[in-house]
Amino acid sequence: MNEAILRTEGLAKRFDGVVATSDVSISVLRGELRCIIGPNGAGKSTLFSLLCGIYRPDAGSVFLKGEDVTRLPAFRRVRRGLGLTFQTNRVFHRLSVRQNLSAVLQIDRADRPADAEGRYRFALERFGLDPDSEMPAKELPHHRLQWLEIAMVLAAGPDIVLLDEPTAGMSTDETLQTGAVLKHLNASGLTIVVVEHDVAFVRDVAQRVTVLHQGRVFAEGTVDEITEHADVRRIYLGKV
Amino acid sequence: MARLSHLLNLLTGPEDIGRSRWFWTGFVAVCVLLFVYPLWLSEFEATNIAYYLLNVPIALGLGLLWGYCGVLSFGQVAYFGIAGYLYGIVAGNMIGDAVGPIVGSLCGLAVCAVVAAIFGYFVFYGRVQSWIVPILTLVLTLLLETFLGQTAGYQWRVGSVQLGGYNGMTGIPAFQLGDYVVAGYGFYYYVLIVVVVTYLSLRLLVNSRHGKVMLAIREDAIRAELLGYDIRARQLVVFVVAAILAGVSGLLYVQWGNYITPSQVGLLQASLPVIWVAVGGRESLLAVLLSTWALNWLNYTLSSEGYRYALIITGVLLVAVMVFFPSGIVVALARELPKRGLRALLGEREGEAK
Repeated sequence: MNEAILRTEGLAKRFDGVVATSDVSISVLRGELRCIIGPNGAGKSTLFSLLCGIYRPDAGSVFLKGEDVTRLPAFRRVRRGLGLTFQTNRVFHRLSVRQNLSAVLQIDRADRPADAEGRYRFALERFGLDPDSEMPAKELPHHRLQWLEIAMVLAAGPDIVLLDEPTAGMSTDETLQTGAVLKHLNASGLTIVVVEHDVAFVRDVAQRVTVLHQGRVFAEGTVDEITEHADVRRIYLGKV
Repeated sequence: MARLSHLLNLLTGPEDIGRSRWFWTGFVAVCVLLFVYPLWLSEFEATNIAYYLLNVPIALGLGLLWGYCGVLSFGQVAYFGIAGYLYGIVAGNMIGDAVGPIVGSLCGLAVCAVVAAIFGYFVFYGRVQSWIVPILTLVLTLLLETFLGQTAGYQWRVGSVQLGGYNGMTGIPAFQLGDYVVAGYGFYYYVLIVVVVTYLSLRLLVNSRHGKVMLAIREDAIRAELLGYDIRARQLVVFVVAAILAGVSGLLYVQWGNYITPSQVGLLQASLPVIWVAVGGRESLLAVLLSTWALNWLNYTLSSEGYRYALIITGVLLVAVMVFFPSGIVVALARELPKRGLRALLGEREGEAK
């Protein structure tokens, strides 16, 4: 269980001179449920884009299951078991729920984890999504859209999923439900990395927490270690 | 048997309008009607009908590329022209040889595929932004027009065939199967079969696994890539298929009229397939088929009153449809009519549900 499924070394990315991430080195173990927190502009979403291949880093490397994937296009990383949801929900809004899900199910990945199908079915059931529904996705309520995107990512059969603020805009109940599903999926062996702002949610689900600040790893530890961490409290209160 | 029922399922799959038993009964009835129709027609009238059907493949190809895959090409006529000219050159040099037209057709389509594959490779693998693609495709066809326009001299001769500059290439042989020259009624049936086979094949394609991924790419290419699909390769394949279909129309055109001029790949002609597809509704193959047929008929009929007039009407129609039915007139009707009771009239499902 202590093999690093996802690892970065010195990841750096700048946009027109603005540093988004500089020298980010993190290591996520197989089976972990990791939360990444940090103030706005800390580089969380940029880090996700670098991990999944939407951006190429200016420096540093990304390793997925020990393989250097830094130069691989996004779809090849997905085929090697990586899944990602976006901060702003990106399901196919004009397509029906059925079309959204069936668009994902056309992949044949040889090394799909054995329980991929089970995880997908579980998510559908717990999120109350009907895979045959002809309702256009854009007519779903906000939280269901986010659930649909998670279900789509699970349909691809990933070993590790990156969720960018999966509970943004959800009610307390919906957030709890999302957390319960994520914990169950994690218990079944799925590695999950979540970017979140909601402290209660992080407390609920996280095993380890990484704090990003100004494009660097600022602190890392268990939930308790991080919440007790004086410097973390300081940056969140804006007194740097 | 299992394969046959799988094919039938794909054919009636959900990615095109018209799926009920009533639709297919009507579809078969129309096909049968079209096959016996020539009994009442003169050979001249039958050839005219064939003329306004021969643009259906290029339009269906564009509908597939634009409506289902999200890539707008403004230069499909480039492939129309490439196939037409190549057929003219090859078959024209093989006059007297019964296989000439077949060899010419295959050459034309093969070159379409190769040109589209090379062009598409740079566009899609270079990750050119999607709004630039229409401009690039238009530039290609205008380059082709300019090139062909200056081929008037005697030195622009391939074997025994003159390219002919703006006067065009003339004397292109008709299609031929063995000793049978496909003309008149024969040409009508030939076009009809090509159109029906093209439509049904594309329906199979859009309902196949690949079709479902195409829709995803159309909606959000990055999201589709992050679900594990190589969007570059998928778009390239569809681009080549659309080019081949444009080539099919080009072949039918030269086999019908026995001539082709550079204006067939010019700006005006380039805009027509976009209009046919947009007016009917680009996200439905059936809509594209119907509107291409109807608009070509309209154009042909109005042309006898004066060509400019015909174009103005087509233009006004485009503007009106885009303003009032942005998703296309056939698609809008197909959505609205059932709500207004037509579905009940046809007895589709609603009766069973109650």
